[in-house]
Amino acid sequence: MASERAYQPLQPARRPGGRPQERPNYRVLVHRKFAKHWRQLTDRVGIQQAQELWDHLAQTPTEMPATASTCFLRGKAGLPQGPGWSRTIHYEVTSKARVDYQFHNAFVTEAGGDPHQVVAILTVNFSSH
Amino acid sequence: MSNIIFQPTDLAQKRVQVLEAARTGGARVRDKDGTSLVMLPESRLRLLEQLADWGTAGLRLEQLLARATRPTVADLGALGWLRVFDDEDQREFLDELQQALLAAHADEDLGVLDGCVLAWRTTARQLEDPLRRSVLMGHLDATDLEDVDRPDAELTDGQ
Repeated sequence: MASERAYQPLQPARRPGGRPQERPNYRVLVHRKFAKHWRQLTDRVGIQQAQELWDHLAQTPTEMPATASTCFLRGKAGLPQGPGWSRTIHYEVTSKARVDYQFHNAFVTEAGGDPHQVVAILTVNFSSH
Repeated sequence: MSNIIFQPTDLAQKRVQVLEAARTGGARVRDKDGTSLVMLPESRLRLLEQLADWGTAGLRLEQLLARATRPTVADLGALGWLRVFDDEDQREFLDELQQALLAAHADEDLGVLDGCVLAWRTTARQLEDPLRRSVLMGHLDATDLEDVDRPDAELTDGQ
């Protein structure tokens, strides 16, 4: 009988749609006008790209992502949409899918609620360049 | 650039020196009819072309924005994509472009200039759509937002 440490060429892979192992640092929200677009994201770009985006937003929205290109939007479109919000960050998921988001490190979503870190996805864009 | 002036025959007889001069700043070759030709690294040529093109575009835009009337798409020409921005944003673009041109010239690197133009063009594309524009130019309120979970392979809109 082979020992448990013997070489095993075929092992079960983690299911791509699995839950993140780390607890999110940021609560991820989407603007209601783009909620429908968000629900189409996985179909448009695939589960891996969609999860990479969500993980970036939930864990490190303040940092440059390793694999996607980002920039700050310019002019008034790039300004914080209220006190405490960041400038607008444009994230290219693929050449055919982009999102714009802002983050807030002490946002209160309801009266009397605790301040917490949130990311607001403002727009989802599926048009090609 | 070196003060050495090569002859056409040097392109065969002194090709190593010609190429080395070209690599390190520029190789000047005097053609038989007296025309002075210069061989440069392509990256250097692109830098000079881009500085000239964007410098001219910046001067043209500066003139347009100094007028009392808002520039039309025809006035803007190749910068027609700026039409989606209001007057204040167009001036902000001009300010950033001028700073980027100075930085690119000083650094001899187009990174800052390319980044500046790309970010403004990206913003223009985002603002072309009325729905995106209404959100990006608006004010964010908690009631505008709803939670989204991590995308799941088994839960997509198409299923």
